[in-house]
Amino acid sequence: MRPLFLVALVLFAPMSGCLLEAEDSDCLPSQEKNTEGPLRILTYDIAAFSDEMLGEFSCNTGYDIELILADDAGGILELLLQTQQAPQADVAIGLDNTYLQSAIDFGLLAEHDVNTTHVEPSVLERYSGPFAVPFDQGDVCLNYDEREVDGENLTVPTSLWNLTEPAWNGKTVFPSPLTSSPGRAFMAATVSYFENDDDETTDAFDWWQAMFENGATVTTGWTEAYEIHYSGGYGAWVDGHLGDAAMTVSYCHSPGVEAYYSGNWTASTSLLLPGASFHQIEYGGLVNGSGNTEAANAFLTYLLSEEVNRNMPVNNLMQSVLVNATWPEVDGYRYHTDVPALNADLSTERIGEEMEAWLLAWTNAKNEAEA
Amino acid sequence: MNFADSRRPLLGIHPLQWLVLAFVIALGIVPLSLAFTRLWAVTGITPWEAVTQVYELPAAKDALTFAVLEATVSTAFTVAIGLPLAWAFGRYSWRRMRLKRSLLFLPFVTPPIVAAAGFLALLSPGGIVYALGIDLRGETGIIGWMASVTGWEHPGHFIALIAAHVWFNLSLVVRFVEPVVAQLDPQWEEQLRLLPAGQTRLGRIQHLWMPILGPATTVAAAYTFFFSFTSFAMVKWLAPASNTLESLLGEMGGTAGIEGYRVDTSLAVLGIATFQTVMMLLMLALAGRFERKHSQVLSLHHETANRKKHGAAPTAWAWFANGLLVLLLAPLVSVVVASFRVRSTNGALAGSEWTLEGWKRAWSGDFSTVPVYDALANSLTYAALTLVVALPLGYAVASSLVRLRQGGHRRVAGMLDSLCMLPLSMSAVMVGLGMVAGILRWYPDLFSFPYLPVVPHVMLVLPFVIRLLTPAMERIEPKFAEQASLLSLSPFAFWWHSRGSFLVVPATMAGSLCLAFSLGEFGATYLVVRVGSWDSLSIMVDQVGSRPKFDPFVLPTAMALATVLMVVTLMVLTVNERARAWRVRHEV
Repeated sequence: MRPLFLVALVLFAPMSGCLLEAEDSDCLPSQEKNTEGPLRILTYDIAAFSDEMLGEFSCNTGYDIELILADDAGGILELLLQTQQAPQADVAIGLDNTYLQSAIDFGLLAEHDVNTTHVEPSVLERYSGPFAVPFDQGDVCLNYDEREVDGENLTVPTSLWNLTEPAWNGKTVFPSPLTSSPGRAFMAATVSYFENDDDETTDAFDWWQAMFENGATVTTGWTEAYEIHYSGGYGAWVDGHLGDAAMTVSYCHSPGVEAYYSGNWTASTSLLLPGASFHQIEYGGLVNGSGNTEAANAFLTYLLSEEVNRNMPVNNLMQSVLVNATWPEVDGYRYHTDVPALNADLSTERIGEEMEAWLLAWTNAKNEAEA
Repeated sequence: MNFADSRRPLLGIHPLQWLVLAFVIALGIVPLSLAFTRLWAVTGITPWEAVTQVYELPAAKDALTFAVLEATVSTAFTVAIGLPLAWAFGRYSWRRMRLKRSLLFLPFVTPPIVAAAGFLALLSPGGIVYALGIDLRGETGIIGWMASVTGWEHPGHFIALIAAHVWFNLSLVVRFVEPVVAQLDPQWEEQLRLLPAGQTRLGRIQHLWMPILGPATTVAAAYTFFFSFTSFAMVKWLAPASNTLESLLGEMGGTAGIEGYRVDTSLAVLGIATFQTVMMLLMLALAGRFERKHSQVLSLHHETANRKKHGAAPTAWAWFANGLLVLLLAPLVSVVVASFRVRSTNGALAGSEWTLEGWKRAWSGDFSTVPVYDALANSLTYAALTLVVALPLGYAVASSLVRLRQGGHRRVAGMLDSLCMLPLSMSAVMVGLGMVAGILRWYPDLFSFPYLPVVPHVMLVLPFVIRLLTPAMERIEPKFAEQASLLSLSPFAFWWHSRGSFLVVPATMAGSLCLAFSLGEFGATYLVVRVGSWDSLSIMVDQVGSRPKFDPFVLPTAMALATVLMVVTLMVLTVNERARAWRVRHEV
């Protein structure tokens, strides 16, 4: 037993100094502690919610915070649906515009009381109703590895149909729209893309079936697609990397994030096909039936404050929704970030109405290809 | 505690014990029934209809084929490697046996995400396996050649998965088989050698070792098949192009059981879960049958005699066993190493540096993850509560089962025993769905109960506690109770002298297993945690490890948390082995 305790001592020893640092950094609340119980925030593991950011909110308002973590935007909606009879959270943060309408239609959200006048008008065009507040945004699009798509082995596609050609066999990976929010956003983009192309005989699901028949890989989440399969991203330095796909779904600013963390270097870039990207906006909203409304409104207001929202690109790797938002210039973040000229044209209402049918059609296309 | 004087209206079992039995069985059946009822209501079709519809799904057919194949191969290799190891451990004396057994058992209670990270580190460039020229991950070199010659898709991933399953399940074979070898009366072998049938090694295997070790090996093989068949995280990380039924359920499970939303998913989950539950029940019934046979063989023999007679292991056996232990430790060591290593990139060039930053981050935590000491405190609290609840319940159930068997009601005991094992047959998705459905229906405020994760922990450890205590109770001679009854003892003193004192060590072993399982348990806790805000260490490892790794310190932080979890679990397992050593010394 003694050697084990020695091992434990060696492992824990380096951390003793950090404990003191954490204690030193504790702040004193400027207000009395709120007695209504903690503000329960249902979210996914949003990087923006740093210790400092949430700690400052608690210090300034007196509200304690309890985080309930889901996997992603889809997980948030599922938890809200499963616990609709007995809400477990006061505020939900992270539903995007592919899930928002479902949450509203199911009556999961309550009206908020947050001032959104300083939010970029184009963001509010997507949804400006009383049930949700936008807090970050980004464009979901295809990313490719410039070393693989070099014009010789593979050429840069000029149409999504190019990806169904033999040269691309087994070289694409997509997060599933059934389980991943970027996957769902891109699937929605393809619906719009093929509705607006010249060919009226085929639709998005014909393309998806052709993609599956051409060896496209489908993963449960964005992480597996980007880290394990995509050859152009940081996954190349992560254990277990396969690098078998030269193209994947991510954000148009992902190459900028890559550069930011790798000293202004990246092999990844975005594929800016007109209409083949999706402008994703993430929202926060009050959970219908929960009690702590005042605290929830205060938190959403704080999330939209200059000090928090302007820092979204660094803290949450997404763009701010405030007017005149820009990407940081440092380490090639802005240089490697692309802005699509034309995003998919889909209203939030239409997404809400048709998403289930699209998901079913996507599943059928996959089953047909595998049969 | 003395039930001897109480009224026993039904099959010799006290009403209170029936109540406990009913509670334990309900703990398994209720969540499952609730999950099925909910899915049935949402889809509007019966489970059997769902099975026939799901059978049309290519993904489900592929998953079933893959699960059967990988589980069969995993079982064959686990037995082929585990049997000689168990034989060597049971037959010879070994230095630091307690530590060796603890290390051997560590993989079984290591959270799968930690194990997967350890294996990926070994298989990736910079890892030992890759350095040996075997590229199981990228499938180049000899593995790539194998794939192109045979047309077999991803042979490297399949081999990696089988290796991980063998690593995970090897301790099962040793746990079941080693005591049988150790307890075999050496005279049996000597006597057989004098007979014509025992002159050759083959003859001795046929006439001694196979009948003696067969039942224990079959039990271990059945459980190995069971755990490999339901593998989830290992498949997800090591064989990303394939699915088992369980991993398929895991992918779909989140949206299942919600009225008016993604009904197609509910239908698929209902069909797959029904099929898998039936298969699991059959397997468990089979394993239970073999296990009862096994416990009868165990009761015939004595400990230590073999080891004393054969002394230290010959060099070849020592190399084999110690070498295997080193191999078993390799994935865990890579986890520890990864906690101190961070990637450093300079343009296209990548390297690594040594750092304590991962440990510092793990220690301080952030707002979405509690500091490591808080997570550890949560984990230890859940584990302690699991122990406090599961041990008495397991004792009461084991006691009832033994009493039923001793009273001649073996069939009833067998049936109840199988029902108590139900939680093992359930998919984590169904446990989670059942719990959410049940809690919402009856007591929604329970979501605010800080110790809710203890419920699935108790459900999952109870079968193991019952399995440990039942054979120990069966070995207690009835004459002890007769002798104690002649003395004028208080009810507690009577219980202690006739039964309790003989169960101290098995109960200690069951207790430390409760702690170890609870510490490492991930699946069911995860599903409960999704509707609450409880951070245990195993959940934290997953949460941090699943973050996008643009930030190079994500992985070292996750691995630091995993290392803490491993060290604590190893300490708990060492207590278990101390208890076992005490039992051997005192011949309890």
